[in-house]
Amino acid sequence: METNDTLTDGVPDVDERDRRNFLKILGVTGSVGAATELSLADLREAVGAESADELAAVGERIRADLAGGLDAGRLSEAVGGIEAGIAELPALRAAGFPDDPDASAYREVAAPAWDAYDHLAAVGFFESAERHLPEFSPDHVRATAAELIRAEPLTAALAEAGFEERERTALVADVVNQNARLAQWVSTAKLPADPEGYDPADVAPLHQRALGGALLWIDELDHHLWQREAILTDEMLDRGIWDVKAMLGGVHLFASAASDLAGPEELADSQLAAALAGGSAIAIRAQEDVADDLFRVTDAERAPRGGVGR
Amino acid sequence: MSIDRPHAEIERTDEGIAIEYLADGPTTVRHSAQQIPRLDVTPEMLADSGDDPESWLMYGGGYAQQRFTTADTITPENVSRLSLEYTVEATEDVERGKFEGTPVVVPSDPPIMYQTNGPDVLRAVNARSGDVLWTYRYAPEGDDGQPALLCCGSNNRGVAVLGDTLYMTTLDASVVAIDRYTGQQQWRYDSAPTDEGYSATWAPVVYDGSILNGSAGGEYGIRGFVESINADSGEREWRTWTTPKDQWIGDSWQHGAAPNWMTVTVDSETDTLYASIGNAGPDVNGIVRPGPNVYTVAVLALDTASGDVQWYFQESPHGWWDWDASAPPVLFDAEVDGESQRVVSHAGKTGWNYLLGAEDGKLHERSDEFCQHLNMWSLPQDNLEDTPWIMPSADGGSEWNPTSYSRQTGNVHVKAMNYPSKFQWDEDPEWNLPAQYLGGSFTVYPTMDDPGPAPDEWNRQLAIFSAVDPVSGEVVWQDEWDEFAMGGSMATTTGLTFAGNGAGEFIAYDSETGERLWQYQFDASVNGSPMSWYDPVVGKQYVAVQAGGGGLRSATDGNTVGVFSLEG
Repeated sequence: METNDTLTDGVPDVDERDRRNFLKILGVTGSVGAATELSLADLREAVGAESADELAAVGERIRADLAGGLDAGRLSEAVGGIEAGIAELPALRAAGFPDDPDASAYREVAAPAWDAYDHLAAVGFFESAERHLPEFSPDHVRATAAELIRAEPLTAALAEAGFEERERTALVADVVNQNARLAQWVSTAKLPADPEGYDPADVAPLHQRALGGALLWIDELDHHLWQREAILTDEMLDRGIWDVKAMLGGVHLFASAASDLAGPEELADSQLAAALAGGSAIAIRAQEDVADDLFRVTDAERAPRGGVGR
Repeated sequence: MSIDRPHAEIERTDEGIAIEYLADGPTTVRHSAQQIPRLDVTPEMLADSGDDPESWLMYGGGYAQQRFTTADTITPENVSRLSLEYTVEATEDVERGKFEGTPVVVPSDPPIMYQTNGPDVLRAVNARSGDVLWTYRYAPEGDDGQPALLCCGSNNRGVAVLGDTLYMTTLDASVVAIDRYTGQQQWRYDSAPTDEGYSATWAPVVYDGSILNGSAGGEYGIRGFVESINADSGEREWRTWTTPKDQWIGDSWQHGAAPNWMTVTVDSETDTLYASIGNAGPDVNGIVRPGPNVYTVAVLALDTASGDVQWYFQESPHGWWDWDASAPPVLFDAEVDGESQRVVSHAGKTGWNYLLGAEDGKLHERSDEFCQHLNMWSLPQDNLEDTPWIMPSADGGSEWNPTSYSRQTGNVHVKAMNYPSKFQWDEDPEWNLPAQYLGGSFTVYPTMDDPGPAPDEWNRQLAIFSAVDPVSGEVVWQDEWDEFAMGGSMATTTGLTFAGNGAGEFIAYDSETGERLWQYQFDASVNGSPMSWYDPVVGKQYVAVQAGGGGLRSATDGNTVGVFSLEG
């Protein structure tokens, strides 16, 4: 399915085609979701909980796997840092294209997320998540999305990160509608590999690739926006800023779940699993989008030759 | 003079081209009692090579790789009188179809040409008469392990020269030093193991007493590098890996490829080299290597003394389409934004020319397309049917084809392929060298037995030769060819541009207009890049080009180097 490129106030629109597809996959029928503006809140009571048990079993295994290995303070601080970074994005967008080849604003925004990533990698969290979470099959994506919609703590976490209702809806709808793309992101165990020759250990666990890849794209933006201003446009930057926000939102959801596991343990097992899978899925989709929106520029999209684009 | 058995054997396998050396060690055969005149090739001569009409001392003509000659005897007015003066022929069957190189010429009396072709063959030629003086054939001594595997042809593209020594890469990823008077090998540097997928085909460059060398094997799971080797001792001075660990996720850098498999360009004013960097590994499955995958598909600027990275410019970050930034970068001064600036021009497999600031890598302009684009940037699917036809194909755009630059017009001249590919990821469930590490596969329409209907948008011209104004980005003129076309071009100070194509045509264009002013028909594809020199003793300007086909997309194989001069 093609992605929708139109934005309203910096947020991707969920058009009629996306809405129908989204509701169909979630199994929501009737008049639910038929309001003028699609909203997760309107769907909360309508999505089924039939997959919650499976997610809960996964969450339970992850919880058992990582008991005691996580640094609650460090993760909590990182989550706060990610939230602060997301809050900086409007200012980064307003600043436009950097004049300085050594600009580092985007790298600074990503730094707290890297700290969470480094810690989670060091304690084996990503391996555990990959070991227990299912592949991104359409069913798993649907179940994850349903749990994200149903679970108020997860909605609250995204809200805490600075995502309004329309933005949260856009994130979840995209993940559901693009489940075929997500399915291509397979776990290390599913990679083509010959155990005698190619060492799958060279490839990071799926959820590490999801988060780390997203953060690498954000890190690259300072350099990229300065270097390629000649062909980029403000419209591309609008989409790119949303992609950055979505990537950070995905990392935030994942890191928040890890932080909860390390500390208050307020999330139910099913919510823990949904947050980890959902956070990864959002980070994957957004990094694919940022590549498409800001790095892969066609002649039809580019700023006109001669630098009169802006 | 023939030899009893070839020094090497080339075998086409499902996984590429394998070279097995049959000889135990290098051989040199003298064909003539003629002595090569003593002339010490100095660093100053190398620095002036791009401006000296009597010299062509390195692959790209000079460090800037403009492929521009200041020899001015052959002009648009008299080029119609250009005719074949002599040919140099390879005698061994194993050498047929391996002619992608550019000779160098040392301006002695007589001038001496050093010409290479695959597999690892080097000749010294009296460039005035065409007499072959000696032939060197490389083979390693002793059992050197696994045969080298190459995706795209067992070629050699040329030598570097300094003092009395020639430097040549070999298919098994070595660099050898050869006495240019005798053809005897002096030393061998083994840059990387063939049993890890490495190979080499490019012409190295000698700068400031060091050999600047690269890496190939981007389809075989290597980790790419650029390196410097002491030209006297053959010892490594520095190596810069092109998959920086801290910018790749997990250990994906280990097989991240990013080879530098074409000759680097050097700015001798700033001691900066510009390397063209190839695809990421695995080529067609990006999910194992998330992020932009720096420095893949990029122009990479390094300090020549330390190898420190100065900047990089990626043409296809996190690529899935095998669009190496393989053509050598071209360095020149141009007026950009109202002021004269040193710039780097690079023609990409992506089908666009990029003009970059030499100091900082900032993009000044991306040109209009010099080949067709169709479904550009569409991601491969897990089966060919669901992936649309994509242009440029996996071949590009501008493949390794070296660009030339005309100081007269300010245009760059780009040979580009023009046909579609389909890509799919994860077709092959196993990888274990020796096997290609693609993470999938791709098709190339003109090479398919049963490709089905071609996309309507494709104009069916397999190659396009373009003059592009790199500053404005305008495509100034084009000539469309209906056969594959590998190799490069050369521009002259008198306003000519020479280029050959896969149909065997060797053409002189008016640089300004693109009008064909002269052409010669070879019986093999012209996959080498032309070069030229002026011989003051006989008062002739010569133009030489290899016409023997090459590895990848070569229509007709042969074994000839043609050398032209004006009649009468």
